[in-house]
Amino acid sequence: MRIFIGLITGTLASATPILLAALGGAFTYYAGLFNIAMEGMLLVGAFCAVLGAYFFQSWLAGVLCAVLGATALALLFILFAIVLKTDEFVTGIALNLFAVGATTYLLRQIFDVKGSLSDPRLPAIPAVTIPLLHDVPVLGAVVSGQNLMVYAAGLATVISAYLIFGTRFGLRLRAAGHNAASLETSGVSAARVRVWALLACGVLCGLGGAFLSLGYVRLFAENMSAGRGWISLAAIILVNGNPWGLAVIALLFGFSDGLGLLLQSAQIPSQFTGMVPYLATLLALSVYATRRAKARPA
Amino acid sequence: MPRSFLTALAGILAALLIGAGVMLAQGYNPAATYAALFEFSLGDVDSLATTLKNAIPLILTGLSASVAFASGPVNLGQPGQLLFGALLATLGGLYLPLPAPLLIPSLLALAMLGGALWAGLAALLRRAFDMSEFIVTLMLNSIADLFTFWAITGPLADPDAFSPMTPAIQPAGWLPEWGEFSSALLVLALAAAGIWFVFQRWTAGYEWRLTGQNALFARLGGCNISRNFVAVMLTTGALAGLAGGLVVMAGPHRFLKGLGANYAWDGVMIAVVANNSLPGTLLYGLFFSALQTGALGMELITAVPSEFIQVLQAVIVLVVVASRGRLSEWLDVWAARRRARVKPLAPAPD
Amino acid sequence: MTVAQRPAAPSRATGLIELRHITKVFPPNTLALDDVSVTFQPGEIHALVGENGAGKSTLMKVLYGLEAATAGEVRLGGRPVRFRGPGDAIARGLGMVHQEILLVDEYTVWENVVLGAEPVAGPLGQLNTTLALRAVQAKIAAFGLDLDPAARAGDLSVAARQKVEILKLLYRDVSVLILDEPTAVLAPQEVPQLFAELRRLRAGGQTILFISHHLDEVLTLCDQVTVLRRGRHVATRAAAGLGKPELARLMVGRDVVFTSRRSPHPPGGVVFSADALTVRAPSAGGRAAGRERLRDVSLSVRAGEIVGVAGVEGNGQFELVGALMGLLPAAAGRVRVNGRDLTHASILERRRHLAFVAQDRGRMGASLAAPIRDNAIMTHHRLNPALTAWRGWLLRPAAVGRFVDELRERYAVTMRAAGAPFRSLSGGNQQKVILGRELLLDRPFILLDQPTRGLDVGSTEYVHDQILQLRARDRAVLLVSADLEELFRLADRIAVMHRGRIVADLPTDETTLAAVGYLMLEGRPAAG
Repeated sequence: MRIFIGLITGTLASATPILLAALGGAFTYYAGLFNIAMEGMLLVGAFCAVLGAYFFQSWLAGVLCAVLGATALALLFILFAIVLKTDEFVTGIALNLFAVGATTYLLRQIFDVKGSLSDPRLPAIPAVTIPLLHDVPVLGAVVSGQNLMVYAAGLATVISAYLIFGTRFGLRLRAAGHNAASLETSGVSAARVRVWALLACGVLCGLGGAFLSLGYVRLFAENMSAGRGWISLAAIILVNGNPWGLAVIALLFGFSDGLGLLLQSAQIPSQFTGMVPYLATLLALSVYATRRAKARPA
Repeated sequence: MPRSFLTALAGILAALLIGAGVMLAQGYNPAATYAALFEFSLGDVDSLATTLKNAIPLILTGLSASVAFASGPVNLGQPGQLLFGALLATLGGLYLPLPAPLLIPSLLALAMLGGALWAGLAALLRRAFDMSEFIVTLMLNSIADLFTFWAITGPLADPDAFSPMTPAIQPAGWLPEWGEFSSALLVLALAAAGIWFVFQRWTAGYEWRLTGQNALFARLGGCNISRNFVAVMLTTGALAGLAGGLVVMAGPHRFLKGLGANYAWDGVMIAVVANNSLPGTLLYGLFFSALQTGALGMELITAVPSEFIQVLQAVIVLVVVASRGRLSEWLDVWAARRRARVKPLAPAPD
Repeated sequence: MTVAQRPAAPSRATGLIELRHITKVFPPNTLALDDVSVTFQPGEIHALVGENGAGKSTLMKVLYGLEAATAGEVRLGGRPVRFRGPGDAIARGLGMVHQEILLVDEYTVWENVVLGAEPVAGPLGQLNTTLALRAVQAKIAAFGLDLDPAARAGDLSVAARQKVEILKLLYRDVSVLILDEPTAVLAPQEVPQLFAELRRLRAGGQTILFISHHLDEVLTLCDQVTVLRRGRHVATRAAAGLGKPELARLMVGRDVVFTSRRSPHPPGGVVFSADALTVRAPSAGGRAAGRERLRDVSLSVRAGEIVGVAGVEGNGQFELVGALMGLLPAAAGRVRVNGRDLTHASILERRRHLAFVAQDRGRMGASLAAPIRDNAIMTHHRLNPALTAWRGWLLRPAAVGRFVDELRERYAVTMRAAGAPFRSLSGGNQQKVILGRELLLDRPFILLDQPTRGLDVGSTEYVHDQILQLRARDRAVLLVSADLEELFRLADRIAVMHRGRIVADLPTDETTLAAVGYLMLEGRPAAG
């Protein structure tokens, strides 16, 4: 039973940053942007979270800084891809590089450390105990007592789904992706809609990044996003950006990650268990591709 | 050509100015910093040799990405392909009982084979399942990273070393030094010449280029798109694998932990900033190598952390690429205005 | 804020609309509009006519704020205005329905209509679905349009989609409607219905600017006619009292002659034949086969014969060309050239027997970014042994250079250098390179898909001459064209396509423009 609860908690914890980044990417996906900068946004978010938490000695300040930092990267994306009309793919690649370079540089510059920063004084994002529910056996241990950001990711899923499918913004957002010319002739600037989508992406990736460095663990390490942004991109492709689908996929990846940790205790080298999420991504993509091929014969 | 050169120059200058601004804001002296950068990368024969040697993996992974992007496939798998190239070369160097004249070519071939196989896996998945090589190569990067790490900590680990690494390969597999300069440069020159030959003279290379520019047109012209796709993936994988092999054979002569980490995205970065051109890839490869090589000396002299160069590189990529598009557009509009006054004639389609 | 509460925008376009000295240059060197001045009166239906490339659409895009004029100004009610986009234009009461219908296929009719002016509630801008639906229904009723607001736009007929576009503008209370060739996409029986709706709108006080190149339509529907030719303003006249020949002369700039340019030339044996060729659309569900886009098409072309394929765009021409070139798989039937079965051959194998000029130069006919040289040797690089060495593995640069020189001389291409990008050539020279490349293959069968689309008069003449020379040299030519005039000039026989079928295959000399036009629209000969 302990293993079971541990597996679920591990699943939720590794699903959270992927889900948050994927939800952010979903906004840009619906807006018709080829946005691959989630990886960099997560990383900048993770760094800024540590920065804010360290200097203000408050996890909340850390989260705010993470959101600001990732949004700043989104603003750079806006500047280059939308204002200067640089290729979106190139912009994404360059911003990811920039994120790695800037966080490594600032880590050295501000904290004077190389590689990673962990400090016992770093305040963590707290876990939340839900009264009453917490005392229910099994269910309580799973539903209650998770990190605040885990609940935030759940809430973000609901809000994203509502924004995308139930509001004026969502109607325009999806129109920008389906047929930008149609939106333009309706008198709405597709570029402006995309700017909002990118800002939303920045905020959500910032939250995901904050969880990486202040929730999942309490430290910042160079390149600690470790491909989660890319996995979130694969998730978006798999479910066409649908927030509910993203939640399911993120949980599946989280589960495979947790399973990897379990396997590790079964004497399998950690390098192989570490491959599980990437292999799971490849497997999911092949299933998706096979299904698509069946729906559309040559 | 002069225009692309000018816009690139303008972009680099603008990026260096931005870098100078960042340094000023942090209280460093930009002039001294750039001087130190130059001094320690190109200032004397020693530094020049180091810059050239460091440029080898940058240029080869850059060529890999350039050739792929110019021909269509979005091969982002240079890091993984480099690692597998290095791994196979190391294996050969450890266990192949051959004299140097045979061992060196064999190891180079093994390195290319390793990269090609890893890229070929992505090509296979594309052919079999129509999975986008873009995501697949990224996932394979992470897997290659973990796999090679397992190899050098487990079966191939040097029991006497304190950090994960293999034992040194046989000295017969070491690439000789010629004075200050590594003979790996010769291999690089051959590879670059080979790519030039493939693109300019080889019939299939012509098809690759044209497919990259307009696949439908090439297909209607009789080019075999899917066969070319596989060929491009194998070739670009081999280039990245060769980079890995050379890193082992010219440098530490063993597979060290974190071997490929320094070159992870550099190849893609160089291809992007060079707009996939062969001379551009060579020049930017050298330029970024000079920055990276000079960075250590810069840190010693000016207290600017060497990591600053990573930021500067990303700024250069963004500014050069953005200015390339923008400047050309402005020049076109400006030319159009001028012509509107002089009245040309060619009616437009509605 | 709901639609009903929206305050009236200031100074709506109820007064004169003046376009003054509008010049538009598309970089690098295309002059689309050259000092054009026109005035539109409120409450009139004003036609803008001209040939392809005359600048009609560009002028309207300038008025609508979609294109910025290189020089000149737009005035509404005497005041200069500067629209930075359609949003500005719509706010001032101007609305445009584009030639290509720009609806979000995935959305319903009402979602499309309210997009950009949605009634909302709450701080997050929740869509007020009920209100939106009601407002759209009210407009549908007020203007007597036959539309289901809950239908998905992608499922509608073209005519209905066009109506949705108009409804979209009416919902925004525009008073000036710009319609860009609205009849081009309609079935003939749908045209009178559209005209009735437009007249009803005029009666309701709307101003309508109507782009067309159909003389009959213009003369029956419009009050005023403005003629553009090659980017210049030629005339603005009242439609009443204006005759068709005169209007045609204004448009073309010379008396239009529909005379054939063919000299008598007895055709030889059959070179190309398609028998009962069928092409299916990709199926949607996965199991059931898709709808047939090309049905039982049988055609043959003899040596020294030009066979034209006529039809309204989208009636199977694309699928016919795709199946012949090997882009689309044939579900049934046979394709043969000189007796060799090419139905399932690779494209390279097909290219041993046929030459092909695609309709879309930038997409299918060439790579705009590649050097002229690379564009010139496509297909030759595999099939012309003179250009390669080492069993075709290597290209011979000297031979390639000679080949490009030969092409330039034989097809009178004006170009700076063979290494310059293809896009630096003018449209006419681009087409000469493509045509030259394909003709130098020297194949018995030549497939031409709209070879003169978007070309100026001189280049068109040149292409026509080349086609007639092919006929004189006993090649078999299949010419797909949307331009009936072109077909009547060149083709020995005209095959008419309608909904994926060949509905008629007529000797050109025994038919008339009107008869073919009717067949194209109705799929059957005119009665009586």
